[in-house]
Amino acid sequence: MVDSSILTRKFQKEMNAGIASLVLLSVLHKSTEPMYGYQIAKLLEEYSGDTSFMKQGALYPVLHSLQNSGLLESKVEPSVSGPPRRYYEITSEGRETLITWQGVWKQMKSFVDRAIKGG
Amino acid sequence: MIKSVEDYLDVLKTELNGSDAATIQDALADAEEHLRAALASLREKQPEMSEEEALNQVIEQYGSPDETASAYKEVERRTLPSLAREISNQQDSAFKRFLSVYEDPKAWGALLYMLISLVTGIVYFTWVVTGLSLSLSLAIFIFGLLFAVFFIVSLRGLALLEGRIVEGLLGVRMPRRSLFFQNGTTWFDRLKTNLTDKRVWLTLVYFFLQMPLGVIYFTLIVTLFSLSIALMAAPLVQSITDFPIISIGIMRYYLPSWATPLFLLVGFLIWTLTLHLGRLIGQLHGKYAKMFLVTD
Repeated sequence: MVDSSILTRKFQKEMNAGIASLVLLSVLHKSTEPMYGYQIAKLLEEYSGDTSFMKQGALYPVLHSLQNSGLLESKVEPSVSGPPRRYYEITSEGRETLITWQGVWKQMKSFVDRAIKGG
Repeated sequence: MIKSVEDYLDVLKTELNGSDAATIQDALADAEEHLRAALASLREKQPEMSEEEALNQVIEQYGSPDETASAYKEVERRTLPSLAREISNQQDSAFKRFLSVYEDPKAWGALLYMLISLVTGIVYFTWVVTGLSLSLSLAIFIFGLLFAVFFIVSLRGLALLEGRIVEGLLGVRMPRRSLFFQNGTTWFDRLKTNLTDKRVWLTLVYFFLQMPLGVIYFTLIVTLFSLSIALMAAPLVQSITDFPIISIGIMRYYLPSWATPLFLLVGFLIWTLTLHLGRLIGQLHGKYAKMFLVTD
């Protein structure tokens, strides 16, 4: 018998893989100015309340991969305290993609809800 | 037990062992940026909290080194550099494989890189030589130190740019963000930590060598390109202009018509071999750039 908490964590991780991209794009779409990693993590913490859905460290590789696909842009700026910060901003391609992804998410959500309820 | 941000970075580095050097560099930079920002804001809110307690709380939210490492490995597995695609042509015949270089973006990318490297090589070389000589000669003044720091910072920026060009054209994974400046307190400390940093010197050497390499690459490609085009075009030019195309000494000869397919074939062969050569040089240069510009 496999520990159920391990299974739950695995399930969570697999689900997060795609959702993280959608969430990050949405956050940067809403934001009026470029944001850096820690700022984004703080904002997501507010949204998630007491439960933590994913480790903040896991956001960064997703940010890199979104930038690599041309959906985000970034620039490094020095900070008053500590190391320089990388600020991320959504591109116009990112905004277009987000609209499609939101559609996919809506369909997926209603599909999963119906599957759980059973008709 | 992790007692400081440096400890965390060390453990993270060990956890990422075996991953791509560029990924490791990105991961360390991300972690350092986040942990320091989070620590600073937490300690501002709760100044009574001990350093260790604060760090533990921050790491709890950021993820332990092994969790963070696995997140990077996972994403890295899914996103390869844009040109790094797998071409499975094991079963194809040697002839087909020989020609398949035409559809390989890496070969074309490498040729483009070799052409551009003349220009970038000259820019890097000039910058490095000017920067070095000014840093040395201004060192007798206080602001000479400032200038040296400025020069080293500029190297980091240029190194990142060269990395992006190498990844874009040669398809080798390179860092996606610049290295951090060591957190020295004074300008002098910064200069000292940077002068003892192996990477700064390796970057300097790379930029210095980039000009001779650029000249060689450029000459090689342009020569081979002209040669193959000239061979292929010679019979055509002769048939249009009716001018004897071969000259030996003061004598000029007409190209016999049976040689036309031969010239076309040889020209085409040289061009195809040039593409192969370009791809090979691109691979070697990618490895070399990685050795000099990426931290290990």
